[in-house]
Parts: sequence; C-alpha cells; structure tokens
Amino acid sequence: MTPRPFANQPLLELRRETERRRLLEALETLDRELPLDVPVMIAGESRTGDGIESVDPGAPSRLVARAAVASSGEVDEAVRAAAEAAKAWGRRPAVQRAETLIAAAAWMRERRFELCALEVRECAKPWHEADSDVCEAVDFLEYYARGAIELDAGRELIQVPGERNTLAYAPRGVVAVISPWNFPLALPCGMTAAALAVGNGVVLKPAEQAPACALRLVQALRAGGVPDGVLSLLPGFGDTGAALVRHQGVHAIAFTGSSAVGLEIISAAAQTPAGQHHVKRVVAEMGGKNCVIVDADADLDEAVPAIAGSAFAYGGQKCSACSRVLAHEAVSERLAERLAGAVEVLQIGQAEAFGVDVPPLIEAEAAERVRGYVGLADDAGAVAGRSPAPGDEGYFCEAVLAAGLPADSPILSEEIFGPVLALEAVPSVDAACEIIEGLPFALTGGLFSRDPATVAAVIRRLPVGNLYVNRQITGAVVGRQPFGGNRLSGIGSKAGGPDYLLQFAEPRVVSENTMRHGLVA
Amino acid sequence: MEASSTSSVDLQALDQQIAAVGAALAEGMASARRRPGRAVDDRAMKLTSGDRELRAALFRLVDVTPACRDLNDLGHHLAGLMESVGERPPSIAAAMRIADTKPGRVALGAAVAAGVRHMAHRFIAGAGPNEALRELGRLWKSGIGTSVDLLGEATVSAAEADAYAARCEAALDALSAGSATWPSRPSLERDSAGALPRVNLSVKVSALTPVLHPEAPERGREDAATRLRPLLQRARDLGAHLHVDMESLDSRETTLGLVGELLGEDEFVEGPSVGLVVQAYLRDSPEELERVLSWAERTPRGPAHVVRLVKGAYWDHESAEAQQRGWSIPVFEDKAECDRNFEALTRRLLDSRPLVRVAIASHNLRSLAHAIAYGRLRGGDDRDLELQVLRGLGDELATAIAGQGLRARVYSPVGDLVAGMAYLVRRLLENASNDSFLFAQAEGAPLADLLAAP
Repeated sequence: MTPRPFANQPLLELRRETERRRLLEALETLDRELPLDVPVMIAGESRTGDGIESVDPGAPSRLVARAAVASSGEVDEAVRAAAEAAKAWGRRPAVQRAETLIAAAAWMRERRFELCALEVRECAKPWHEADSDVCEAVDFLEYYARGAIELDAGRELIQVPGERNTLAYAPRGVVAVISPWNFPLALPCGMTAAALAVGNGVVLKPAEQAPACALRLVQALRAGGVPDGVLSLLPGFGDTGAALVRHQGVHAIAFTGSSAVGLEIISAAAQTPAGQHHVKRVVAEMGGKNCVIVDADADLDEAVPAIAGSAFAYGGQKCSACSRVLAHEAVSERLAERLAGAVEVLQIGQAEAFGVDVPPLIEAEAAERVRGYVGLADDAGAVAGRSPAPGDEGYFCEAVLAAGLPADSPILSEEIFGPVLALEAVPSVDAACEIIEGLPFALTGGLFSRDPATVAAVIRRLPVGNLYVNRQITGAVVGRQPFGGNRLSGIGSKAGGPDYLLQFAEPRVVSENTMRHGLVA
Repeated sequence: MEASSTSSVDLQALDQQIAAVGAALAEGMASARRRPGRAVDDRAMKLTSGDRELRAALFRLVDVTPACRDLNDLGHHLAGLMESVGERPPSIAAAMRIADTKPGRVALGAAVAAGVRHMAHRFIAGAGPNEALRELGRLWKSGIGTSVDLLGEATVSAAEADAYAARCEAALDALSAGSATWPSRPSLERDSAGALPRVNLSVKVSALTPVLHPEAPERGREDAATRLRPLLQRARDLGAHLHVDMESLDSRETTLGLVGELLGEDEFVEGPSVGLVVQAYLRDSPEELERVLSWAERTPRGPAHVVRLVKGAYWDHESAEAQQRGWSIPVFEDKAECDRNFEALTRRLLDSRPLVRVAIASHNLRSLAHAIAYGRLRGGDDRDLELQVLRGLGDELATAIAGQGLRARVYSPVGDLVAGMAYLVRRLLENASNDSFLFAQAEGAPLADLLAAP
C-alpha cells in the first residue's frame, strides 16, 4: 500500500503547560528504571555487559546505562549475520520494507515523551532539543521509507526499437553505521533507516556516550518488523568501530562525527585487501567551523538572538553551530556589545530545567577542553561577555563571547564544539567571504543582510553545504533543509534530502535485445 | 456564551442600531478626511495596496532605512529592492534608471529619507515623550485620549531591558507633568466608576526582559517583574494608567502570569489603574477572556482592570510559526469567523461591567458600531465603553468617535522617527492583512458592505 505523502512530525508545543507536565512525568518514570542495560545484539541474541558506563552529564553519579562492549569476534559475527539476513531483506518489496520503517516511526511517536526524557538524562539535551531530535528520527524513518519506494521504480532511460533499457537500484549489502552522541536518536536513526530502506543489512556502532538511545532505536526497528540479523547493535569504543570499518564484509560506511575519525575511516575504507571484492563506499559527515556574516545593513534585533541561539543552544555541541561571527566594521562594535549582553543572560543549568539555554557538556574531557579555549580568550583579554557556570556537580562550562582575538588564535580555526563564540570585525562582506573561502571546512554558514544584491553575491560565493539567510544556522529539518557539508566537512550527499538513499544503493542497468527475427517486437 | 449574551437584546434592534451608529461614524470620518494633505497619503497607500510585490519592497526599504550608512547606500538599497518587483509603476521605473550613478543614488536616497520622515510623522507622535506632548495635547483638546507606546529596539540584554524601563519611567514623569495643564475634558476623565487617568502608557513585556522563554514562562515573569514593579509604583504615585500589551502567543503565559502576580501584591490594591489585552484572533480567546475575568473577580482592586479587546497584530507570525512546527494554527483563518468572535467577546466584556472597564480597539467600522450599539441596547452608559484606534491608521475614526461624544483613545507610538518607522513597518510587513479594512474603505466600498454582519 502506498503510504500517505510525507509530512514532518509536529514538534511538541512546549508553550503549553500540559505538554511540559507530560515530559516531567516521563522523566520521573524513567528515573525509576535507571540504569538501563544495553546489550550487544546480534541476530536476535543479546549479551549484556558493563564495559561502558553512560552517565548523566548533569549529575555524573547517576548511571543512565550499563552497556556491553562488542568484541572483534562479535563484530565479525554481526557482519556475517547482516550479510546473510540482508539477502531476504533486500528481496522484500520496497513497500514492505517501508512499512516496517513507518511502523518503527509509530513506535517512537507513541513513546516520544519517554524518548525525550532519555535524551535529557543520557546526553543532557534540553527538552526542546530532545523533542526536535525525536521528531527528526521519526522524520528520517518516514522520509526514507517513501524515498526507497520511489527509488525502487528505477529511472527512465532512452528507449529505441529493438531494445529495452532499465536502470534499477540494488542494495549494497552490509552497511556499518557509526553514530555520534549529539543527536543520539536522529543521527543513528537516519543513517540506519536509509540503509535499511534500500534493502541493506546494518551493523550499528553508537557513540559510547549514548548507547541507551541507540538501544531504543534498535527496539523501535525490531518492533516495526525488521528481522533479526538484519540489524545488529554493537556498543563499544573506538576500537569496536575501527574493527567494523576494517571488516571485509562491510560494503558501505555511514559515519557522523569528528573530522579526525572521519578521515581515518575514509582512509581505512579505501583499502582493498585480498579477498575483498568491493571498494567500500563512505558517507561521512564531519566537523565544521561555521561562520555567520553580519552586513552593515543587518537587522541586529533579528541577528543577535539568532546568532546566540546558533552558537549556544545545546552548549554549541552541534556540527551546524555557529562559532565565528564576521561582522562588518560599521556594526561590529554595536553587535559585540549587544551579543555580549545576550550571552550574559544565557542560563546555564540542568537540561531538565525548562528554559535552560546551555546544559552541561557531554563529558568531563569536553568541559576541560572547552575551558582551555576560554582560558585562551581570557589570556588574550578578549572576553567580551560571559555567563558563569553553576557550581553543581556536572560537566558545566561557562558560555563566552570573545572579540578582538589575535588572528592566529586557535579559537578562530579549531572546532571547539562548546559554548564559545568568536566575533571579528571585517571591512566588507567580500572580506568575510574571503575568510570563509580560506577555511578547510564548509558545513553551514549564515548571512544577515537586507540588500538583495549582497544576498545573491554571497549565495554564489560561499562553498558551504547549508547556507542560512537572515535566520539561525542550526535546526535543519528533514525534507526542508537536506543537511551536509562540503570540503573537509564531509563527503556524501545530504541527509534528509532526495539524493541521500542513492549512496546506499548500487545502480544496475539492463539492456535487453527485444528484436525477434521476422517479427515486429 | 454567545447565545446567553445575545439573547438579552433584540437582534433586529441591534442591527438597526449598528446601522445608525455606523452611518454616523462614517459621516464623521468623511468630514475628517476632507482635511488638507490627507488625500496625498491616501493616494500613496492606494498606489501600493494594489501591488503586493511593490508594497513588500517599499516596506522592506523603510525597514532597512535606519541601517543605511548614507544617502548613497539608501539609494542603492532602493534600486536593489525594486529589482524584485515585476511590474514597476512609471515613477519607480524612472527612479531605477538614475540609480546607476552615485549622484542619482544620493538623490533617490534623499527622496526616500524624506518619504520615510513624512510617513513617520503620520504614525509617530514624536521622537520622545516631551516632543510628543504637543501632539498628545492637541488630540486631548479635540476630545481624544491617547496611550503612549515607546518604540525601540528589541530587548536582547539586561541593559536594554533596564533602558526600556527607564524610558518608561521618564515617560510617565514627562507625560504627567506635561498633561497637568491640559484643560478639563470630562468625557475623557471620568466614567460611571470614577476618575480616569490622563496619562496612559502601554508597555511591552518583551521589552522588559531579555529572557522570554515560551517553555519557561516563570523565567521571563520573574525577570520582568523586577522592572515592572517600579513602573507600577511610579504609575500609582503619579495616578497614571499602565497598559500591558499582548504580543505573540509565545509570551502570553508570561504576560498574564506577570500581571497576575504583581497586581496581587498588597501595595497595588489601591492603584495604579492597569490594563490587559485579549486578542480575538486567537481561537482560544473566549476561554482566555473567561480566565481574565475570573482573575479580575478574584483580584479586586481600587480602579477596575481595563480589558482592551483587539483583533491581534501577529496573525502572519502565529500562522507561519504553527505551520513550520506542525501545530494547529492558533488563530482564525477566516476573517468572518474572527470578526464574529470579536463581536461575541465584545458582548461578553460589555456584559461584565463594572467588574472590568472595557476598551474595544479596532479599525473595523462594523466592530466599533457593534460595540456601541450593543452597549446602548444593554442600557449601559456610553462613558463605560472606550474605543481605541492606532495613530496613523485610525485617526479619522477617532475624530468620528469623539464627534459622537464617545471616548476615543489613540494608541500613539513615540520614538525615533526613522528607527521607529522601521519598527512599525516590520509589524505591517509581518501582517500584510492588517489593514485590509482601511484599504477597502479607501477603495470606497459601500457603507452597507462595511457594516454587514460578519
């Protein structure tokens, strides 16, 4: 049966008190169930263990989940199981595979409040961010389910008398999914759903900081009807991921995470050891150093809240987050002053408190690292505004706006992934574009300008994968803002867009001779 | 609710009364419109009303004007924005031709700047409270009250919130001092419940705090309270009225919570006079009004609370935001449905007197005539109904209302002319449908159509 046309999952209307109350109740219920056990799951078999402790970043003494660590033997087992099970899965009609994904989406939708609560606890996602993530996960399932049905019809080719030409898409085989913690449900879900929709088997290695969210994803897909073996869950650390990437039975790798790891994966995937009869396809979504340009004619009333939101929501721990503002010198001082004021009123606190702007960072190491950058800004005497971190237990880090940094400051070039924003004055929008063109990254970018000619020129010029004009630069929505970067920010086509599924499929063309001697075809 | 309030008046009598009141107001507006200079403005509005693209481009131009560095830059923006207009009227096409050279752009920029200033004088009463006093006094003498609204930038920091609060306080002082010498105008200064303040200031909660969070109304409420409390004290000491405006739905809970909390405090039992707003375009506004009325009942104070009924100015915002997020649209999408709700809420409010003082704010002749007619049929005193309009859009209506011996109040923006105009236009930009009635009227729609039941 053809599913209804795609529509984005509505967000919770958190301005209504009833919705907020339901979330808090879900959190209370979840707290009684903690810690959760996340097993290694292969071909319907589960093995529990406690090699990973996933804690609440806001209260590290609270254990959210205990997860087993998949061994290299289990990696091998999971890949073989996926290869075997994928045969039948890939033969199923696309519509049937789509139905299982849509059923998984329904499972999540029914549990959206408890899924949000889990994200709050495991990844310190503030409520509205957690809700967006759950909605995005649902969107990916629904969107790719429909996309796979469309893809299954193949593409039209030129036909001439006497031959019949078809282009069809076959699954690649086994897809390894290596996912991050910052969108703990949506990102593993998107990569997994795309691979499954096209008929592949999937082995999922989630971030060690978010195994419980990954478990919920696997539960959703199994409840939706994805057969045992087609999908395995391998919690683990970097070496589990590395073993998976190197496994000869893996045909494609979908990765979202840091540039360092991404480049390693791309390099490892390029190897074709004896006995491996394919080149691994890699879809990698990596880092960014995302800039927002503010022109002299920008509406600062609009720019200030949008920039602050882009830079500091979820503590800046989004690959799309803004980390540099390049402001026209005619407005840079005024903008710095207003942004500093906006930073000073940011509320840093526990993710579960409604209205918190900056939650604790994901782990102690992250907070330590970001504090290092804050130290650099302080040493340079460049802190223009700050909001202090609470003294609570938890991986808190203050939020900082730095202005007037020396040109060689690491704050201006390195991906910080934390609540630190740098502002620089530039003589013109052209000069800002030049700076951005010189960066190795090209993920997201922003422009505030009210001159149509400037807007058009910047659109032509910037290499970024996602450019946002006169709005915040985070919050891409499936089907509306297909997401992904260029340059060292990523390879592969945009997630949540019409081309994404192609990466998980192999095109096959058949040209059949239909000429019959003495007969008209 | 609708059934219970209408059952008490004869519908036929109501219709007749509306027709009579409406005709009288229309007559009053017509003579006000014969004022010199008015025709030019109306022609300009008419020119742009027909072409949505041109209108949007001109609005965008006014919006960016304060951010332009010089006249050359302004001329450059004019040319750029006009590029997007498919069919340009001859005057605009001619302007585009001279935009290629710097002197041409400077000349265009100067024309735009003059145009914006001219427009600003129509909509803005003055650059500051002192500058506005002359205009406010002039209106007062002609029997029209005002409510001052201080225009300014959005509040994004504590310092900006403090500055807005300080401006409000200074405005209360300046207006109190300046209005003390105004002549007595009984229709504006007294209703059957008692004295009405001469000074009336509208304040916006979004300007009183930088931390408005729809999901955490207590955050904005607590922060704004620290700035609204001193303003209430000052208004009480000066005998001024403070009206807390309603903005987008995202801030409604914060706003109502803030007013509810502060007015429950002992120090405000005897004053000041305070007002709230109910937006009739919201589908849940009937329940909202009940909430407000029951709160008013639980919170008796010296001066009765004023409830201003408006249609609401954030229609496009509410509708687009809801669609972007997948929410059910909180505002009426059908104008007639919205107008019917406005009338139902008007009746409910008029029936609730003297628990609350009633202010009906609209530019819709029918809505105003309905309020007046219903109030009279219910045997109410004309003094116990206030009618409000926006400066620049409802001036002739205000004159007509005052001409009928009714109390009119003009919501009067005050602030830097160019920046303030940009701010006002942004409101209009976001609400293309805002002034449809005015255009219908400028187009010369027959009176019977304007007064037809929605």
